[in-house]
Amino acid sequence: MPHNAPAPGRRNVLKSGALLIACVVAGEAARLTPAAAHAAAATPRVLTAAEAVTLGHFAETLVPGACAAGVVEFVDSQLAADATESLLIARYFGVVPPFHDFYRGALAALDAAARAAHGQLFAALAPEPALALAGSLLAGPPPGWSGPPAPLFYLAARGDAVDVVYGTAAGFEALGIPYMEHILPPRRW
Amino acid sequence: MSTRAPEEVDVVIVGAGAAGSVHAAVLAAAGRSVVVLEGGPPRKPGDLYSSQMWARRLKWTSPAAVNGGADPAGIAFNGGHGYGGAALHHYAVWPRFHAPDFGMASDHGRGLDWPLDYETLRPFYDRIQADVGVSGDAARETWRPPGAPYPLPPLPTFAQGETIARGFAARGLHTAPLPSAILTQEYKGRPPCIMDGWCDAGCPIGALANPLVTYIPRAVKAGAVFRSGAHVTRVVMDAAGGRAIGVEYADAGGALHVQRARAVIVAAFAIETPRILLNSVVDKHPCGLGNASGLLGAYLMSHPSIIVFGMFDADMQNYMGPTGGQLLNQDHFGKSATPGALGSRQWMIAQALKPNDLLGISMSRPDIVGPALAPFMHKAARGLGNMVALCEPLPDTANRVTLSAARDAHGMPLAEVTHRYGADGKTLIAAAAIEGAAIMTAAGAAETWRSPIGGQHLMGGCVMGSDAARSVTDAFGRVHGVPNLIVAGPSLFPTASAVNPTFTVHALALRSAELLARNWAQFA
Repeated sequence: MPHNAPAPGRRNVLKSGALLIACVVAGEAARLTPAAAHAAAATPRVLTAAEAVTLGHFAETLVPGACAAGVVEFVDSQLAADATESLLIARYFGVVPPFHDFYRGALAALDAAARAAHGQLFAALAPEPALALAGSLLAGPPPGWSGPPAPLFYLAARGDAVDVVYGTAAGFEALGIPYMEHILPPRRW
Repeated sequence: MSTRAPEEVDVVIVGAGAAGSVHAAVLAAAGRSVVVLEGGPPRKPGDLYSSQMWARRLKWTSPAAVNGGADPAGIAFNGGHGYGGAALHHYAVWPRFHAPDFGMASDHGRGLDWPLDYETLRPFYDRIQADVGVSGDAARETWRPPGAPYPLPPLPTFAQGETIARGFAARGLHTAPLPSAILTQEYKGRPPCIMDGWCDAGCPIGALANPLVTYIPRAVKAGAVFRSGAHVTRVVMDAAGGRAIGVEYADAGGALHVQRARAVIVAAFAIETPRILLNSVVDKHPCGLGNASGLLGAYLMSHPSIIVFGMFDADMQNYMGPTGGQLLNQDHFGKSATPGALGSRQWMIAQALKPNDLLGISMSRPDIVGPALAPFMHKAARGLGNMVALCEPLPDTANRVTLSAARDAHGMPLAEVTHRYGADGKTLIAAAAIEGAAIMTAAGAAETWRSPIGGQHLMGGCVMGSDAARSVTDAFGRVHGVPNLIVAGPSLFPTASAVNPTFTVHALALRSAELLARNWAQFA
């Protein structure tokens, strides 16, 4: 069995009854899967373009395949939702709503830490230093970090990425395990 | 300013979870007019999507609490939001408390005594299990306190359970099927479980005894009215401060109302229940209702817990079975069975695993990222075994719910939650970690590791007791000093044992509700 992250093909998405998120594509409101929103270069609704880029690089560094699976679009759509209906794993970590404050603060801190260590934004780092910096957050804040607790952000963003890569029916199928659903998530987000 | 709802009812119940729904069903069946106010949405089985992501909607969010202390409690993961409350996403592990759990202070000079004993509660355990259907094998549970045998045959075991059980046997330890409120056969019109491991997301087929398929339908059929989006802010007292006359609540639009009632039952779980009582200040009760002892909000407890993992080369079928596990071990349940600590501990063995989420495969090794992650996920998707050590927390007055200076959208003070694990609990965990690694190795694991300590369940905060100077309620949950105000749910627990609380929550609620129904004139 190949040890690659699952590719979110259309067939798998339809088979999974996958999540559809509200997003904006070319100025028009749309409902797409996170992966399709990513492919269509959807405009984030809550995150800034720069924040979206940083989040995408961070999530992809931690969990390869996360960007293609739509992690940025998934997080952005959830930040636009009411906190009590949010599907973000951050709610388990004691993060106090609104959750976008947590993401914004952490993404800014991540860029500040990347500058402190390498003189560049996180998204500009080569894969090896990016992985080293990203992985270090679990142990505590790196030099230059000023924001929400670094380990919490690491766990939340890694969890978001794992959700979209491995937590869907397509992700189960790629891992070779049965989904065995009672009720698939609705097609409308 | 509050607007007054025109109708007065016999009973208003705050919270549509396990305890509130039992009370509603019993009291409505006894002819009482009942209104249940639930702060969350009106869940129904069709809402329970098989997804660990969607499961998060069922949990509590914490805009209403400031969570702190050395070891913050898991108030979001353990709490509920909407009809069914926390019991909607609970894993239905239903062991009983043991007789020694009720007399910690008398027997050991530490902890608290319950104002009732096991024999008093035993018939209510028996009746609840017959009512909702509990599976298990009483004979194989050599530690089980006396009681009626289970009405249903035990859960099946899959490769994961069978493999880890061999590790227990190799270490001279015993295992038995996990007692579970999950049907293994059709029971009273509800279908059996198909062992798909989606318990955390809620069970839409009703094989797992959540309130949506047990006591809420009975309550509704008997005439109880459930209102969602009703956020209760305080208990309303009469002018003399001697009796409750209803509750104030904000509706979904933020408008305040008073629901008048002859008796008030607060069953809003371990954070919200003390928060509401603390916020119900009148001249006669300047520190909140039932707080003459100063202990309202105190003794909040959460079971210190770890997950021990083992990686196996074989297919463990770890995607099959209930989320709560397949097997049980209570060989170290004796209060002094672990050297250096006072308290019980138990193992729940072979939990069904999903790839994502807090208890999922990926989070078992949060340090693995980048190119190393996919190989790990592929191997663990079939090869990971796991089991959970649940340990007893001793009641600690430093662990408590108080009111914050910050307020919510309705002007109600937030709950300020302070929590730490005690030395005994940490010692129990340390012993479990050593034992767990040895068991996994004996079972054939090529590699074994453990999670950090996490808190399971929330209990205490409005503890019951025989002495009004050292407790908040009496043995039936009646708040000291306010005879028609009743607390229900895990808030009442003076000690937590090392078992999952939901079975005991049901048994206590049934006992209290029947007393209220039987002696209605005295309350009303």
